[in-house]
Amino acid sequence: MLPLPQLLWLAAIAAMASGVAAVDRKGALQLMLSRPIVLAPVLGALLGDGRGGLMLGVPLELLFLGGVNLGGSIPDNEALLAGALTSMVVPAGLAGHGVDAPLAALGLALLIPLSVVGRSLERSSEHRNAQLAEQAVARAAAGDAGAARLNLLGLALPFGGTAAICAACVLASPLLALLQRGLPDRLASGLGAGWHVVWALAAASAIRAIRDPRAPALAAVTAAAVVALFLLLRGMP
Amino acid sequence: MTGEVSRTALGRVFLRSLFLQAAWNPRGMQNIGFADAIAPALDELYPASPARAAATVRHLEFFNCHPYLAAAILGGAVRLEERVARGEAEAESVSAFKRALGPPFAALGDGFFWLALRPAAALAAALTAPALGLGCVLVFLGLYNSVHLAARLWLFSAGYRRGEEIVGSVGSAHLASGTGLLKACGAVLAGAIGARTALFAGTPLRTLVSGATIVTAALFLPRLKSIWAVYIALLLGLALGGGFF
Repeated sequence: MLPLPQLLWLAAIAAMASGVAAVDRKGALQLMLSRPIVLAPVLGALLGDGRGGLMLGVPLELLFLGGVNLGGSIPDNEALLAGALTSMVVPAGLAGHGVDAPLAALGLALLIPLSVVGRSLERSSEHRNAQLAEQAVARAAAGDAGAARLNLLGLALPFGGTAAICAACVLASPLLALLQRGLPDRLASGLGAGWHVVWALAAASAIRAIRDPRAPALAAVTAAAVVALFLLLRGMP
Repeated sequence: MTGEVSRTALGRVFLRSLFLQAAWNPRGMQNIGFADAIAPALDELYPASPARAAATVRHLEFFNCHPYLAAAILGGAVRLEERVARGEAEAESVSAFKRALGPPFAALGDGFFWLALRPAAALAAALTAPALGLGCVLVFLGLYNSVHLAARLWLFSAGYRRGEEIVGSVGSAHLASGTGLLKACGAVLAGAIGARTALFAGTPLRTLVSGATIVTAALFLPRLKSIWAVYIALLLGLALGGGFF
């Protein structure tokens, strides 16, 4: 187990990085720092294992590729899940033999509901923003020309909520490490296989994420071509 | 008062436009963000506080657009506010401009950036991950943001220069045709990732399971509910890898 001061330091890093990503996701900049393929490897590197973060981030990115924030719709919160999963799995891996498939699958099984919790967090944030909007209109109507500066207060809840959850995940990481060490071999082997099936599911999600009638056919033809090329190359002396 | 906004204020308006959705809400949507972004221009155009507050109230009305394409509307709104401040146009013309362009620009931006560019960039990064390692993050951010940031700057600048004529500029940017091309690229990349996932699964059984999962999920699940799909995938893995069932 990592010593407590190190855990606290890692929790602070996770809180800051995940909070920034949560703000980037919708409220500010939207440079896509919140996408799992960015957040997980970068946060993983900050926590001490970039490769472990990458291992988590790529399938999560594919799994949530189709989630789009159109108008008032709220998709699953992939940023909260990526931040929390990396915050829990990478420190647990540091305490053991690194991030491997069984550990990643165990972490995902425990934390996947956070993608829905993240939607509730976003809904609460929007409710709070509606109050800010009412305040801004009232203040501007009363002659306050700077009323619209309330805008930036809307970033507080996504930042704070995500930061708190990810910090808690770092602090809970020793429990995950303990759980992993206690796994019977068969269960660990099954979780490892489960991670590969999740990867396959993620690849299918990626194909479905391309909202174009030609997409399934194009993907199928490409997949067949890649398999044929692979078999051809393997058959060569 | 010259009725023109300085370059410094324009720069500040653009920077604030990057926070357009900070207080996104279901009732006014991007209303506070828009009013906050245009504030530096209003400060220069309406030195008297009551007139500035009245203009702020105008911009706190409902507004919704794609956050990147909104830069064009913001630039155009600054141009129109200059005309309003000089007495050459009615204040209502600014609101009408925003109302008219918000929905079509939103549809254009959603289709191009959210449904085409982002998936294509992410799939390119995912495909290069085994070779580049952490470098794939730069592939994604580079591909996406080189287009995104350039488009945002150009849209704001074109909106300010052309005002109500911005529709023509955006129309000539070929976003719609680019969307189709990027989606085709995305589909090809997704197919390659699917093949790689199955081929490099490790064992022949895993290859078979991966391939079957990809085909089944892609064909028969009309909308993947992530949580349940992930739990089913993990259970399937447990059944096969752990020999529990």
